[in-house]
Amino acid sequence: MGEYALLYILFAPFAGALALIFVSNRQPLLVRSIAVSAAFVSLISSLYLFYAYDPVKGGFQFIQKFEWSRQLGISLYLGVDGIGTPLVLASSILLFAGIFVSWHIKDRTKEFYIWLLILAAATIGVFMSLDLFFLYFFYEMSVIPMYLLLGMWGSHTKKYLEMTDPESLKRRDSVGFILNFGSNSKEYAAMKLVLFLSAFAVVALMGILLIYKYAGLDTFDILVLREQANLMNIPVLGTTLDKIIWVLIFFGFASIAPLWPLHSWSPVGHAAAPAATSMLHAGVLMKLGHFSIIRVAFEILPETTRELMPIAAVLCMFSIMYGGFVAFYAKDTKYVIGYSSSSHMGYVFLGMAALNYISLSGAVIYMFAHAMATGMLFAMAGWVYDQTHSRDIPSLGGLSNKMPFISACFIVACMASIGMPGTVNFIAEIMIIVGSWNKYPVQVIVAMLGIVLTLAYLFKMMRGLFYGPMNQKYSHAHDAIATVDRLPLLIMIAISIGFGIFPMHLYDVVRSGVDPLVARITQVVPVAETGEGLGMRGKVTTPERPSVPLAAHKPTSDMPQVPRAGRE
Amino acid sequence: MTFSLNMTVSDLLLLLPEIFLTCWLCVVLIIDFSLPRLPKERLAYLSVAGLVVTLGCLGWFDLNHISGTLFGNMFVLDRMAIFFKIFILGATILVILASIEYVNRFTLFRGEYYCLVVMAALGMMFMASANDLLSVFVSLEFATLGFYVLVSYLRDDLASNEGGLKFFILGVFAAGLLAYGISLVYGETGKLVFSDMASAQATPGLVIGFLLIFASLGFKIGAVPFHAWIPDTYHGAPTPVTTFLSIAPKAAAFAILLRIFLVALVTFKPLWVSLLVAVSIVSMTYGNIVAIAQRNIKRLLAYSGIAQVGNVLIGLAAGTKMGSDAILFYLLAYLFANIGAFAVVIAVGQAIGRDEIDDYRGLNRRSPFLAFAMLLFLLSLAGVPPLAGFVGKLYIFVAAIKEGLYTLIAVGLINIVISMYYYLIVVKQMYINEPVDPSPIGISGPMRAVIYIGLAGTLVIGIYPQPFTDWVVSATLMFASFIGPSATVIPPGPPLGG
Repeated sequence: MGEYALLYILFAPFAGALALIFVSNRQPLLVRSIAVSAAFVSLISSLYLFYAYDPVKGGFQFIQKFEWSRQLGISLYLGVDGIGTPLVLASSILLFAGIFVSWHIKDRTKEFYIWLLILAAATIGVFMSLDLFFLYFFYEMSVIPMYLLLGMWGSHTKKYLEMTDPESLKRRDSVGFILNFGSNSKEYAAMKLVLFLSAFAVVALMGILLIYKYAGLDTFDILVLREQANLMNIPVLGTTLDKIIWVLIFFGFASIAPLWPLHSWSPVGHAAAPAATSMLHAGVLMKLGHFSIIRVAFEILPETTRELMPIAAVLCMFSIMYGGFVAFYAKDTKYVIGYSSSSHMGYVFLGMAALNYISLSGAVIYMFAHAMATGMLFAMAGWVYDQTHSRDIPSLGGLSNKMPFISACFIVACMASIGMPGTVNFIAEIMIIVGSWNKYPVQVIVAMLGIVLTLAYLFKMMRGLFYGPMNQKYSHAHDAIATVDRLPLLIMIAISIGFGIFPMHLYDVVRSGVDPLVARITQVVPVAETGEGLGMRGKVTTPERPSVPLAAHKPTSDMPQVPRAGRE
Repeated sequence: MTFSLNMTVSDLLLLLPEIFLTCWLCVVLIIDFSLPRLPKERLAYLSVAGLVVTLGCLGWFDLNHISGTLFGNMFVLDRMAIFFKIFILGATILVILASIEYVNRFTLFRGEYYCLVVMAALGMMFMASANDLLSVFVSLEFATLGFYVLVSYLRDDLASNEGGLKFFILGVFAAGLLAYGISLVYGETGKLVFSDMASAQATPGLVIGFLLIFASLGFKIGAVPFHAWIPDTYHGAPTPVTTFLSIAPKAAAFAILLRIFLVALVTFKPLWVSLLVAVSIVSMTYGNIVAIAQRNIKRLLAYSGIAQVGNVLIGLAAGTKMGSDAILFYLLAYLFANIGAFAVVIAVGQAIGRDEIDDYRGLNRRSPFLAFAMLLFLLSLAGVPPLAGFVGKLYIFVAAIKEGLYTLIAVGLINIVISMYYYLIVVKQMYINEPVDPSPIGISGPMRAVIYIGLAGTLVIGIYPQPFTDWVVSATLMFASFIGPSATVIPPGPPLGG
């Protein structure tokens, strides 16, 4: 393995999907075992990657470069830094768990696993692309499998828009409603998801093409572009070009994140998707947005990022509060979790907007933590749906008698989602909040309220599902007993709590990726003009150590090597 | 102008593929007449064998860099001509293989069908080599003649006759425009060969002449506003003919357009860029929006073809060496995806007897292979990675953004999203909806081969485009001397591109 780890992680799922084409659906066990082994290779390699990544050296490691098109200046250029590594790990964990979660799918099993593997591999590809073309390539490639997964194995989103509060006054998600045209079918959800994401993806592509054109380097290589491209101070249409590119890139990718008010595709998509797809969708697909913004906008346009990132700081408040309130009033389990995800993604934007070591590391760790927590929640919502064929919270109840294991796991997942000390989510949340306090106190207060809101809707859902009087209609429901059903939940719980107690390595890895980035952004002089320091032309890995104590205007940002766990 | 006809045998070598194919065509025709009991499939395989030999000959030309001109520059064999000839022959082979089963629907003249297809291919090979306005006119009409007959080959089908008549009337009208345009251009410049015209002055007569020529070529490629014949003709024609019509004449016409715009008119680039930008925007938008409303898969593909032509015109509007590379590459990607998609349409139509999109309900249950192939072909047409169409679109956009055609690219990008909608509607029918009649659909051997070739092309070009980009780049090398490698020699100043 060694230096080829990235190739194994990326191509094992593709190879699995290819192998599955030649297997018949009449051998379900063979189909599943091929899918599991592909995901397993990917998982083991990404665990190796995570622990073999050297945070002291930092920079991009495990570089693989293959020329792809000379004429266009494209190469398949793979490499991970401290930001990509945990997200690659999260994707492969969720893929592995997702295959077990969807173990009982009977209809067209083979096709299901093919598309699931392609979806996961494409997201993994984004997290390790160092080439703008391939970043977009994998990004767009992850969208189409979602269409088929939602359409073929999803369920209709019946009446999910109807919400009632205790006085049974009707409320509705107005943004979602305006953009929804009142349709409740899974086909509609799938089409909306694909068109929404493609529409914004081409916005980002426009930004990418503008970078390509104005850099004038005939390359899509992110590392070359970030060091040599000078996109600043070109006047266009009454503003400057870098601002236009930044806005295109930011909103293009923020739609998948999903940032309010571009979120409306997401909860609908969650509600229609089968459990494993929701897990990957909420767990990693949404992080493609944040990741691509970091990789493209932060790396190539650091100056502009510093100038324009307050946009995210404003919008993230709406994300947090709006998502939280809708989740509180929603009646559909998956809709609640979906909106909770989009609300929680607001925290990541807050962490990114504050642009300092602590908050940005917090944001990255939060992406990882949220992937586990929301993965668990969706897996269990999927289990409950499989057993009862209902996602309507008011009609469910008392299921803890029937499924003690699931309800115990559900409590853990809720705790993780809320950010209970002991889970990795706590570390992430506290870092975001501490890191952003100096710069955005209002947003931090909103975020705190958001946590309270999270508590409220998750407990409300938990009570509605597992406690209270039982609906006799669902007396046939049973617990997850088989190993294949318990394994995915246990893996995600173990990761969530394990990193909550021992976050050192995760923290070090993330810091090694975040530090050079924040250093670039907070530097006053644009790098391209001075041409010093970071501009080591030709070299692929620039081992930028966080040793320089620069622009440390945050009280907490002066101890790069102290793990946050010490604060607990 | 004097025509020197003192040619040697080695000069005739340049014409070898055409000469051989003509002889072969006659042989096939004679066999058809003299052995009436011979199964017509044999004729198909015989034609394919001749085309393959011709293809091999052209491949040999390409590898040995054989090139030259004949008949006082009327006929040119350069690497671009070879590229387009290989392209056309490849398309013809696939079309013949795809029509073997379909031909049984014809009541009469089954043998002549193959001869007409090969004859049209022969005409288009001459189009690829046409280097002056007269040979453009002759070869274009020669190629179209075969199509007039082919489109109305279903004698008892009203739609086929209607399509043929529309095609004929508009085609003859376009031929008239072409002849008129040629006469104006010749009257203004006294030149017929493209490379001699580069120094001409932009007089009103010349401008009108070229506009008329562009209109008639626009008719061939089906760009808006010269597209009116496309939907009805595509709908009515026998599906294999539609397949042929949707790819080969467009490619051949683009060979001529490239020579006209990048060689003859290269000095007028600032003038024609805005024309091409406008036609491209209108074609893409109109084609995609109208395609949404279609209920028939052939009409849907017809409108999607109009939109695809708009995409190709982006590359022409860029007007650079890279733009021409991108056009060739895009056409290559389009060849596999489009022939593949039509092959699926033929296979499904053969089993069901109709071509409505509703008939594709639950195709995934009836024939997973056909559904999967159709899925990939449609996604390639939409431009989804990792398929050929995506790389083609990106190539075109990169070529255009280097020239600063921002508005055009923005429209092109928006159109990707629009087109995704109607392609996904078909995908929805195939994958999500349940079939009304779940009986499996069988596929014949040749058809399976066509679909496999289409899939292989779509995937290989999408995943590893390097050999193909190398090929197209070397094929258009001769434009470099006219327009420079890729950078802007002429300042990009289209009014729309700001």
